Amino acid sequence: MSKSRMNIALLIVFVLASALQSFGQTIAPAGSEGKLIAVLKSDASRKEKADACRQLGVIGTKAAIAPLAALLGDEELSHMARYGLEPIPDPAVDEAFRDALGRLKGRPLVGVIGSIGVRRDPVAVPALAEMAQNPDVEAARAAARALGNIGNPAAARVLQYRLEHAAVENQLDICEGLLRCAERLSADGERDAAVAIYDKLREIDAPHQVRAGALRGAILARGGSGVRLLRQHLRSDDYILFSAAVQAAQELRGTQVTRVLTAELNELPADNQILVIQTLAKRADAEALPALFTLAKGGAKAVRLEAIRALPQIGHASAMPVLVQLLADSDGEISQTAQESLAALPGKQIDDAIMEMLQRSDTAHQLKALELIERRRPAGVTRALLEASKDDDESVRTASIRMLGDMGSDVEFDVLVDLLLSAKSTSEIRSAERALSAKCSREAKPSADKVTIRRAVYGAVGEGGSADVTEKVAKMVADGALSITASNANFGDPAQGVVKQLQIEFTADGVTQVKTVRENESVTLAVGATPEPYVDALLSAMDRASTAQKVALLRVLRVARGAKSLDAVRAATRDADAGVRSEAVSVLCGWPSAEALGDVLKLTKTAADRKAKILAVRGAIRLIPLQAISAAKKLAEFKELLPLIERDEEKRLLLGSLAAVPSSEALTMAMSYLDDASARSEACFAIVAISEKIVQQEPGKVINALQKVLGATKNRDVTRRARATLREARKAAGQ
Amino acid sequence: MSKKNSNLTRRAFLKRAATVAAVPYIVPASALGLDGKVPASERIVLGGIGIGNRGSHDLRWMLPEKDVQFVATCDAQRSRAQAVKKIVDTRYGNNDCVIYHDMRQFLAERTDIDALLVTTGDRWHALASIMAMRAGKDVYSEKPSSMTIAEGQGVVETARRYRRIYQTGTQRLSEGNFTFCNEMVRTGRLGEVHTVRAHIAPWDAAEMRHDWLPAEPQPPKEQVDWDTWLGPCPWRPYNSAYTRGGWRGFYDFHTSCIGEWGAHTFAQCQVAIGAADTSAVEYNYVNNKTGDGMVTRFANGIKMILQLGGWRGSCGVRYEGTEGWVAAADGYSKPDVSSPAMMDDFRKLVYDYQAQTQRPMSHVRDFLDCVKSRRQTVANAVMMHRSMTTVHAANICMWLKRDLRFDPVKEEFVDDAEANRLRSRAMRDPWII
Repeated sequence: MSKSRMNIALLIVFVLASALQSFGQTIAPAGSEGKLIAVLKSDASRKEKADACRQLGVIGTKAAIAPLAALLGDEELSHMARYGLEPIPDPAVDEAFRDALGRLKGRPLVGVIGSIGVRRDPVAVPALAEMAQNPDVEAARAAARALGNIGNPAAARVLQYRLEHAAVENQLDICEGLLRCAERLSADGERDAAVAIYDKLREIDAPHQVRAGALRGAILARGGSGVRLLRQHLRSDDYILFSAAVQAAQELRGTQVTRVLTAELNELPADNQILVIQTLAKRADAEALPALFTLAKGGAKAVRLEAIRALPQIGHASAMPVLVQLLADSDGEISQTAQESLAALPGKQIDDAIMEMLQRSDTAHQLKALELIERRRPAGVTRALLEASKDDDESVRTASIRMLGDMGSDVEFDVLVDLLLSAKSTSEIRSAERALSAKCSREAKPSADKVTIRRAVYGAVGEGGSADVTEKVAKMVADGALSITASNANFGDPAQGVVKQLQIEFTADGVTQVKTVRENESVTLAVGATPEPYVDALLSAMDRASTAQKVALLRVLRVARGAKSLDAVRAATRDADAGVRSEAVSVLCGWPSAEALGDVLKLTKTAADRKAKILAVRGAIRLIPLQAISAAKKLAEFKELLPLIERDEEKRLLLGSLAAVPSSEALTMAMSYLDDASARSEACFAIVAISEKIVQQEPGKVINALQKVLGATKNRDVTRRARATLREARKAAGQ
Repeated sequence: MSKKNSNLTRRAFLKRAATVAAVPYIVPASALGLDGKVPASERIVLGGIGIGNRGSHDLRWMLPEKDVQFVATCDAQRSRAQAVKKIVDTRYGNNDCVIYHDMRQFLAERTDIDALLVTTGDRWHALASIMAMRAGKDVYSEKPSSMTIAEGQGVVETARRYRRIYQTGTQRLSEGNFTFCNEMVRTGRLGEVHTVRAHIAPWDAAEMRHDWLPAEPQPPKEQVDWDTWLGPCPWRPYNSAYTRGGWRGFYDFHTSCIGEWGAHTFAQCQVAIGAADTSAVEYNYVNNKTGDGMVTRFANGIKMILQLGGWRGSCGVRYEGTEGWVAAADGYSKPDVSSPAMMDDFRKLVYDYQAQTQRPMSHVRDFLDCVKSRRQTVANAVMMHRSMTTVHAANICMWLKRDLRFDPVKEEFVDDAEANRLRSRAMRDPWII
């Protein structure tokens, strides 16, 4: 080989190699068209040529057209040649596709016809007209659809002719082509031509979807005069055409259409009425309301229900009297549906009317009104609910009192306390308790005074930058924020493009904690405390309350939390009344924070009856992990409890708590229950949970423990987690 | 074709010539006074195309519906079709579910089928839906329901042309937590909403694979019809991994980490901000692998940010307004809110939504109801196409590595010829629309 030939060969190799390197990318580098064309002309593999075609589809110019077109007849690469050619805007592509029509057969021909359709080449209409007669069914069908895409009058004429003369198996595609033509013509303002096509398709014995589509098009393309056609087909005995007309009505605007629909309503069979009602609801034209009111009040039940459901969709206040009237309907389903519709009917007028209902004398209406109020949650209902809470009827009083706690944001706490103290029946006392508890929960406010920020860091989860944001968080807390969101908006972006987290070490109410959240989540720094005046009011009420009321107040104090509440509960455990004492023990053992642990531990030994002892043991098991002390200390407290644990229920509870203690001693304790059939499942779970936390520190012990778990459990999730942690442990142990 | 007698009842129509497909409507059972029992003649006759893993979930949601009768399935893979038949026959206690392998034969022969469950791989969703609707079927399609902007346009046009009912499988639009979040926006409780955040999938990347897996001996066509499996996509040699779900991550078959969950979350965001009939107009390129942090903007000024992290579950959305924010994701027992008081209206908002729209909190049920009532579904073709257009445009932005502007009326990128060329892909013969 001469030196110059060798240089040329080397150059080609270089060009191809650099082009092939870019095949892993969706977009070829700028200036690579020549290299890609060279690949097409070379003896590169099918894959390499396919990639070059794909990339030329994005960056190819006129220069790429001939090399791509040369592949249209290649059965292996014909599709990819079109893939490259179809998006290139140059008219030479259309010419290349038209040229190919005459020389291709089979699937490549079908593909090229399809591409001509995509490009909507009007010059190709005569050639496609020929193709529409092709004995190759796929080619003929593709031509019909491509002509439809072109959609000019010439294409439409071809398809209309073919409709009369084509083989039955191609008719659906010709109909498709004609529908496409009609859409194009209509969009281009040639409505008469479009209407002519639609009307032709309506006349023939076509499949249902064609006739329905043609009717829809015929109505819409006629514009305002389409309403006449709509009316005609609303009366049709053929449900296909009837439903197509109704569907077309969903796309038509204007009151005239509503009038047509409602005018026909009464003449229709029930099934058809339902379809029209649903359409009227969707169109949401208030003009339909009188007709819907009539249907809602009488007639076939299914039609009535549908008319009632339509009213909130239209959302007009005039529907209210009808719905209120229907609340009293003797048919429960009608009444219930009316109530649901009334509940969703928007507007202050509706709220006012419901308030009026509440003031009526009959209990049934009052209770309906209360249900509606609870569902609608209108503003400013406190006064009405307070009045109702003094009603003669107990069910009205009970419901009103309960709702005051949930909805009466402006009701005075003392008023709720008085309601409890004046409550007579068990249900009223229970409602008042719920109202007070709800009020305490809702208005509990965390106090920034009790929170100290020790350290805060915002940054990447893994490797990457981070920022000390201690001062920023401290200032946010000082300004009253006790929920801090981990976001760039708060702390800037110390690690661009990666997921970040926020870690805050803080002290709340004397307890030090560390909390970590991922980006866009929030850290809550303190649990809210019920305002002190509320607690004082509860304590004051204790002196005036009956036994049943005191029991209820004790439960409210548990929701209120805080030192004062706890003291009061402690005192109640020594009350003269046995019922109060019993409930106080129960409340103490269910106290939500670790402050009660000392009392509960004492109760485990001193409680007078077995039930109280069990409650105390359970309370202690639950409260021990809540303390801010070391794992070793928690474990020591658990060990002290062990002699008191007799029942299987408490063993299982203990194992659940142990799972949260990350120490090898906790692991050992959990393992001691593996041989206990009644607690084995919980033991396995606890061992896995502890192992996951200490795997790096104690891999040897973890390996031993998890091997036993795998022999003892049949739970799939526990097995999966055990195996994963075992792998980690072996890695940590260097095995 | 000759003139026809138009006085036909629903099933009488089925006895017509084989070229004529089934009547498209079902009479509402409520009108029949049968206490909820649905006579065989008025059940929705259902079939399936390409039902695999995900599709089996949809199928299991649909089969218990009293007014559904599943009769046949079509799949290029025999084993998958047989698995579906087993589920269906077990449910009905018979051996009646029919298996098809050729979709064209299936659509032409089964004129009794009213609606189809399309749960193929992504590459077939749009084309199978178009072919089914053209054959007169209503369609419930899994997502992502289009591979390109052009495919989505095809779905919209076909549904409109034949008045077909279409629902894409963005089922969170029919779930309480997400509905609450949307209603918080719609009812103005968040004030002026300025930013929404859409979760994108935490696997794969925006740039996808173009390699071919090593060729393996092609199984007999009766077991796996490889040519049909590929459908409209470029040919490549057979490898069994593709047929077991290994098609994900490949450019020819998938819509990237953005489409994988964006098909859900973009749709949710767009419905929430009243942009279900449009697409984002601006896309700001971000220099990372996934599109995380990309800011898109709608014509109404609201930003939608693609967000990979910061969620406790999957397919999350977050809406931020001048008066607060709400967020939901799979795995959240209740929505996250900026103020606990916002949750007071949870039941009210969800119930009001149901009463005012008559949409049930069941995506499958919404579809079936709409098959009967002929009204548009909550996740109809337009909503699918417009939200998937946002997905496709975001992908194109990442591939081209530059900011893009999009005109949702013309459905084209502004002053970017290369981006416009990526709106469609030539479909492989004979699978052309």
